[in-house]
Order: sequence, then C-alpha cells, then structure tokens
Amino acid sequence: MSVTTTDPCTCPERRPQADGPARPGPGGLSRRGVLARGLAAGAAGALTGLAGAGLSTRLAFAAASYTGDVLVVLSLRGGFDGLSAVVPHGDPAYYAARPVLAVPKPALLGGDAMFGLHPALAPVLPLWRAGQLAAVHAVGQPNPSRSHFQAMEEMERAAAGTSIRTGWLDRMLGLQGASSPLSAVAVGGANSPRSLAGPTPDLSLRSVDSFSLAGESAKRSMAAALRTLYADAPPVLAGPAAAVHGALSGVGAVRTTPYAPANGAVYPETELGAALRDVARLIKSGVGLRCATVDFGDWDMHEGAGAAVAGQPMFERLRELALALAAFATDLGPAGLDRVTLVTLSEFGRRVQENASRGTDHGHGNAMLLLGGGVNGGRVYGRWPGLAPSALVAGDLAATSDYRAVLGEILQRRCGMGSLGSIFPGVSPTGFGVAAARA
Amino acid sequence: MPLTDVSRTWRRRRVLTTAAAAGAAAAAGALVPATPAAANAGAGAGLVPADPLLHLLRRATFGPTAEAIAEIRRLGAAGWLDRQLAPGQIDDPEVDAYLGRFPLLHLDIAGLRRAAAAGELKVGSWAAMQQLGHAALVRAAWSRRQLFEVMVDFWSNHLNVACPFGDAWDSRTDYDRTVIRAHALGRFADQLKASARHPAMLAYLDNRASTKTRPNENYGRELLELHTVGLVHTEADVQHAARLLTGLTVDKTGAYRYEPVWHATGAVTILGFSHPNATAAGGEAAVDALLDYLAAHPATARRIAHKLCVRFVADDPPAGLVDRLAQVYLAGGTAIVPVLRALFTSAEFAAALGAKVRTPLEDAVATIRVLGLRPEAVTTDNPTGTAASRALYWTLQTLGQAPLRWGPPDGYPDVAAAWASPGGYLGRWNLHLNLAAGWYPKQLVRPASLLRHLVGAALPATHGGLVDAVARALVGRPLSAPHTAALTAFFGKQPTSPLRATDSAATGGFPYLVALVLDSPYFQVR
Repeated sequence: MSVTTTDPCTCPERRPQADGPARPGPGGLSRRGVLARGLAAGAAGALTGLAGAGLSTRLAFAAASYTGDVLVVLSLRGGFDGLSAVVPHGDPAYYAARPVLAVPKPALLGGDAMFGLHPALAPVLPLWRAGQLAAVHAVGQPNPSRSHFQAMEEMERAAAGTSIRTGWLDRMLGLQGASSPLSAVAVGGANSPRSLAGPTPDLSLRSVDSFSLAGESAKRSMAAALRTLYADAPPVLAGPAAAVHGALSGVGAVRTTPYAPANGAVYPETELGAALRDVARLIKSGVGLRCATVDFGDWDMHEGAGAAVAGQPMFERLRELALALAAFATDLGPAGLDRVTLVTLSEFGRRVQENASRGTDHGHGNAMLLLGGGVNGGRVYGRWPGLAPSALVAGDLAATSDYRAVLGEILQRRCGMGSLGSIFPGVSPTGFGVAAARA
Repeated sequence: MPLTDVSRTWRRRRVLTTAAAAGAAAAAGALVPATPAAANAGAGAGLVPADPLLHLLRRATFGPTAEAIAEIRRLGAAGWLDRQLAPGQIDDPEVDAYLGRFPLLHLDIAGLRRAAAAGELKVGSWAAMQQLGHAALVRAAWSRRQLFEVMVDFWSNHLNVACPFGDAWDSRTDYDRTVIRAHALGRFADQLKASARHPAMLAYLDNRASTKTRPNENYGRELLELHTVGLVHTEADVQHAARLLTGLTVDKTGAYRYEPVWHATGAVTILGFSHPNATAAGGEAAVDALLDYLAAHPATARRIAHKLCVRFVADDPPAGLVDRLAQVYLAGGTAIVPVLRALFTSAEFAAALGAKVRTPLEDAVATIRVLGLRPEAVTTDNPTGTAASRALYWTLQTLGQAPLRWGPPDGYPDVAAAWASPGGYLGRWNLHLNLAAGWYPKQLVRPASLLRHLVGAALPATHGGLVDAVARALVGRPLSAPHTAALTAFFGKQPTSPLRATDSAATGGFPYLVALVLDSPYFQVR
C-alpha cells in the first residue's frame, strides 16, 4: 500500500492541469483542426494479447437488441467524502470526529433518524423525495488501498485477487454481446477509463460536438478519400477505419441535430454539466447506448474542505454535482429516467477524523449514490458499522458492503444480467432492494 | 548458489544448443532478403517497399528520415546496426542541447530532495516526472541513437513504473537513468537486479512496505508474472517470492535500503529455485540469487524473446524465431545485443514486411521525423523552449499513449488490436493534418517549404505525379492507381491533370495531401 499521508497529495486528478495541453489561441488551430479538443483513444484501456480478438466485432455496427437500462457510471475521482454527502448525524462519533467539517443537524436535508443529505445537495432533494435517488453507505473495496492510482485501478478492474486485466464494464458489455463502439461511450475525457479496458469496443469522446474529422468539408471530403484508401486494406487496418466512419456517422447524426434539453432542464455550465448533457443527448438519439462513463474529479480535499456553507470547496463541489444530476434527470423526464440508472463510484472515502487543515485524508468506507426511475430511492441502504473509534478500521469507516455487490444488484435488476461470476468473480449481489426489477 | 536439479538440467541443455541458436545469419551480420513465400509475411506486406534497408529502419527506429535513409545506404545494414548497437559512440548534440532545457532531468534522488528543500520545487512535485515524459518524446523524435531509444521504450514498458506516479516524484527520473537507460543494451539480469533495489520500483509495487509480519505480494507477483517467467508460476511461488523480498525498502532519505529486521527468514522454493534463507543478514544476497535465477530461466528467455519479436517482427511472431532468440539470450548470459543482432538478421524478420501497425506514439513520432520537423527554438513566446514537446506529450495523452504514462505494471500494449479503437484512428488522422499544416503544435521548426522538402525543387508535371512524389517521400513507394486517383479526386483532378505551381494541391491544399498519405494504410504499417 502506498500510504503517504504526510506528503502533499500528488493525485493525478489535481495535478495535470498545470501542465495540460495548451489552449489553442486565436488563429492557433484551424476551425476544424482542433486536435487538442479532439478525440480520444479507447486504446488506453486496451490490452496486450488481443491480436485477432475483438476485431470482427469492431466491424459490426448494428446494435444487438438490448432492453436493459442505460447504465451511467459517474466516477467521483480523488476520494469522495461520503460522510459529508450522506451525513450520519445519528452517530455521535461523527460530530466528535469532525469539529470543523461536520454538517450541523438543522442544515441537513431529507433525513431520517440516522442520515441526512448535505445542504448543497438541495437541487436533488426533489429526486430523493420522489424516490428516484438513493444512497448506499459503508461501501468499499475488498483490498483497500490509500493510493489513488491503485484504488482506481482495482475498483475498475473489479476483480481483486485474480489475474483478470479487463475492466468490469468491458466484461459486462461482452456478456451482453455489445458490438458497436456506440454501445459504450466515455464522455468528457480523452480516454476510456480502465473499467472499459478489454476487447469489447467502446468510444471515448471529449464531447459530441468535437467528435469530427479535421479538414473535412463537403467540397473536399477527406472521409471519402480515406474510404477509398482503406477499401482494400488488410482487416487489421480496415476494421478500425471502418469503425471511425461508423462512429463519425453515428455521432455525426447526433451532432448535426441541434440539441435542446427537454422539460426546461438547465445544465450548469460546467464540465460535468456538459458531459451529462451529452449523455442525455446520446441516450435520446437512439444510437444504441448501453453504458456511459463520466468523470468528475477534484474530491481530494486534504485541505480546506470547509464548513457546510456556500463558498466553501466541499459545498460548491457537492452543489455542482447536484445541479448537474438534477438537470440530467429533468432533461430525461420520468419516462426517460425509467430506462436509465446512474451510479457514483469513488476509489475510496475519507478518514473519519478531520485533519488539522480543515480537510480529510484518504480513507476507506464510502457512500454511493444511485439515480434512476428504477431506483427505490429516498433512503440510505447498507449496514452501518458505526463511527465509534473501536468500530473504525485504521481510522476509517469500515466497509460493510462490497461496491461490486451493489453494482451486481443493479446489473441483475436493471441491466438484464444473470450470473455475475465472470463480471465480479466471487461476489454475490446485495439484496437491498435498492432497485426494482425492470419491467 | 542453491540451484535445484531442474535448473541444472536446463543449464546443460542451454550450452548444448548454443551453437545452433546463434545462427549463421547473425554471425554474418547481413540482412536476409525477403522471401514472399515466407509463412509469416505480414498482412501489410503489399503496402511497404520491399527494400530491406527501409524495412530495418521502419522497425529499428521511430521512423525513417531522409538523413537516416542516406546513412543506412552509406553504411549498409550490418554497419548501420553495429553503429546503432554502440550508441555511446554516436554524437547527439541537438538532443543533448534540447535536454538541457529540462533542468530536473539529470538530478538524482538526493538532488531532487535538495532542490525541494531549497524551495526550488515542492516536495511531491511532479515536475521532474513531467520533464522526463516530455524528454522521452524529444529523444524518440530526434535522437540519433534511435535503436537505443526504441529499446529504452521497450524496457520502460517491460519494467514499467508509471510516470507520473506520485510516490516516485523524486526517484522516477533516476530510475530511467540508472535502471532503464543504463542497461537498455546490457544484460537483463543486471537490469532486473537494478530495478529490484530501486526506490521507484519498490514504491510502485509496494515492496517498500512489505515486512515479515505483513508481507505484500504485489511486487513478488509482478516480478514473476510480468518481469520474468510469465504465467507459469503458482500462488505458492508468489508467496515465497514475496517473503524473500521482504526487507528491500526505501529509507527516509528516499534511498534504497535493505532492512534486515523486516526480512522474513526461512527456506523458500520458487519455480525450482531454493534457498535456505537462514539469516536476516543474508536476505539481500538471497534475493540477488533469485533474480539471477529468474533472469536466466528458460521461461524468461522465451518471454523476453517473444516480446522483442512482438516489438520488431510481428504481433504473432514465428515460434521458431522466438525459440532461437531465447537460446541466444541464454547463451549470452541474458545479454540483449546478441539477441537483437540475431533478430534483425533473421529470415523471419526479413519476411515480416509490413506486419506491424504503428502505435499512436510510433505514428506521431514517425510523422514528425518524416516531415522533417525540427526541435523548437527558444523565443520570447516560448521562453523555456519546451512548449512544443509539452503540447506533443498532451496530444499523445489524448491518443492514449503519452510516453511512460501507462498506469498498470504491464506496460503499454504492443499489438495492433489493442490500438484499433475508432477514437484512436480519428485522433491520429487529425494529428497528421495538424502537423502537416503546422497548426499544432506551432513551435516546431518546419522546413522552409514542406513541398520542396518532400518533393524537391522541380514540381511534377501532373497531379498524379505530385501524389507519387509525396508518397515516395513519406512511404517509400507510389500508391496504387485507385488510391492515387482518390487523392487527385480530392482536389477535383485526374492523375493526368496538369499541375501548375498555383494549383491548390501545390499550395494551400498541400498539407491535406500530405495528411491523407500519412492517414493511409501505407504509412500506418511499419
């Protein structure tokens, strides 16, 4: 385990921006040649030893019939503080451990005798009250690590103690027989996450609007020339090239149709808002989306997370999350939301005891949020182990539910999956009833 | 050294087969001409020129340049290979000068910590690791020690320590220098032992926290599964290896230290290796014995030979070649240079024309090289003179292959199927146009005239002639007639249409023509 609690955090999600791609200045990139905003390789998640495997499926483009929910996996990277989002106000040890950061009881929303929601989550309170948003608490990984890198890696591989190197979403899609890159789309980032690593095709795109071929114009079609250049190419080249044209055409059809969110939904002008807007757009366009992944980072608040008042970092981050989720649900509408389940995951939770910098260090047990028409919402699931010092594991909230067991329940009830053995080896799904069986 | 009977058996066999293994071709140092009938001829054989010198350049470098082609024609294959296998004798002033712009690159662990203590960077800063990642691109694109840099890339993946990796903030650059580069053309046993006691590896695979009371199996497992023998070991082998490795840790100064009180004593048996491991004081020597044993294990020999063949020959390389190279590896005491000589002079290598597809990194760097783009200058807009390498690095990140950045311990995949994503192909197509047109990154120094650089001073008489000339410059051969016609049709012309200096194809449209040839299957195979 890479436990470096005394060193300043060097988490990937907090650092690279300082050295990120240069923003193209005026006149820098051609209007169409904007590589920096361009696309992404799903290849980052790809594996060695796949020669031959999966190529034939990359050629196919017709989506096999899939009748389950679209599964949206929202990764809260950096270590989400489930104890601040879904507050265990009924556990007196909570207030003892967090003299500065604890949310005062009167400020909590939608609560019961034990839990309440952080006030910054007000935008999703209607969803909570309508039973479309639920939480599962004290969730974690079987082999916890306090290294962001390892914990993310293991969470997305989701096969602790095995030699499996694919990601769990790839294995799920494989079992579903998904064959189109548009079955699984990583939205908002440059690369597909590790959860999609493996032979099943997927697509990653920064945004629907930026997924385009540089230099293309109706008068001079690069795409037409490329089709001829690849027409008689060996399959190892012709396959991906054909898939590009398919994806350009599939995404292009979505892109060229102006999109207006429905039901008066207003997405916040944030990266998360833009990504969820694109997910909704892809869902409604009927391109055959089964699964989407979105990243929402910056949760690694070792310093200055702040009290539960507007302007403080934790409050603002939670509000940004809630505003985007609320807009997404509004945009989909009740009928749309009935066919979508969104789950949040984070590589680990935070230490129970706040630190001397008004923040928290890396911990373990955490909360998951679940949003969807099939979710039995408005309540917190899970077995609460308590926050008394004797109940903690190395200072952390103990995990009483394997996150994969919770996902397993969703996959079986909402995504048409049967046996989970090859997705989550050795894991039995929870029987919380957090989701209704799909009609 | 406590070796078992099993290991003695294979050691004897190794000696007996040495002569056959090395092979006459390797001794002669001559390239074997390609035989079209060879069973392993690549699917892309029809896309590349058959010239064996160009084949060698496409495989043993990050991509041909006009200068490299001239050099290999002057030296011949054997002379060129000799020169590339002795990189210390190749001057590399342009890259040396450029690397001077990365001030943290050459600091060791103590040096980076001193710099942090002096306030020049923060403790935990990623700055040195970022400079290393950017430098890797610079070296790939412009170093004259091309085969050395290709092998650095190979070993960086084989013994991957992700860069950046937070806990290696002070050690990752030192790891590159003292483990990867120091042994890239040396003996694998030496490299393996250097990696095992390097703080970067000990942090990355958790061995620094592995103790006799709480052994951590992470490094022990990957040492067997990824670094040496592959998936032929048992869980018991992993547990024994993990126990033996306890005590290899990192001290408070960030340096490697063997900590005897953390070491789990007691006999171990690992894949035929056994050691009494009786004393804590002897633990470090026992680890070295294990590493020497593993480096010279036949399964390791086959695994490294196979990986080298995947890199240089084909995604599914001929078993006979892998076996022969494994024998060369063992006969040479894990020395890599004899293996490379045998590989590049084998009939299987010669026959594998066009059998490899460029990865995103290889595609981007080969594009820079063939277009004659040169390192950026220090200017008022670019005071550090590193803006372009930074931009290229992040471009590669969007393509999924920023140098050294692969997170898991298994290194970037090296087969075409792993990089066949539509987003990745679209990304490389867009990159070609950005580089050809000079849109991004803007700071690279371009030929005064890209047209003249690629085509020469005399403008071809027809549009078809222009496509031919561009294709010969970029991929060493003309395109097929239908492909040539598709590219002239892009400009609304026939191959026979006359070409005037003012035509779009020779002016504003020229970068599009260049990009399309780079986009084409001809350039995508190597």
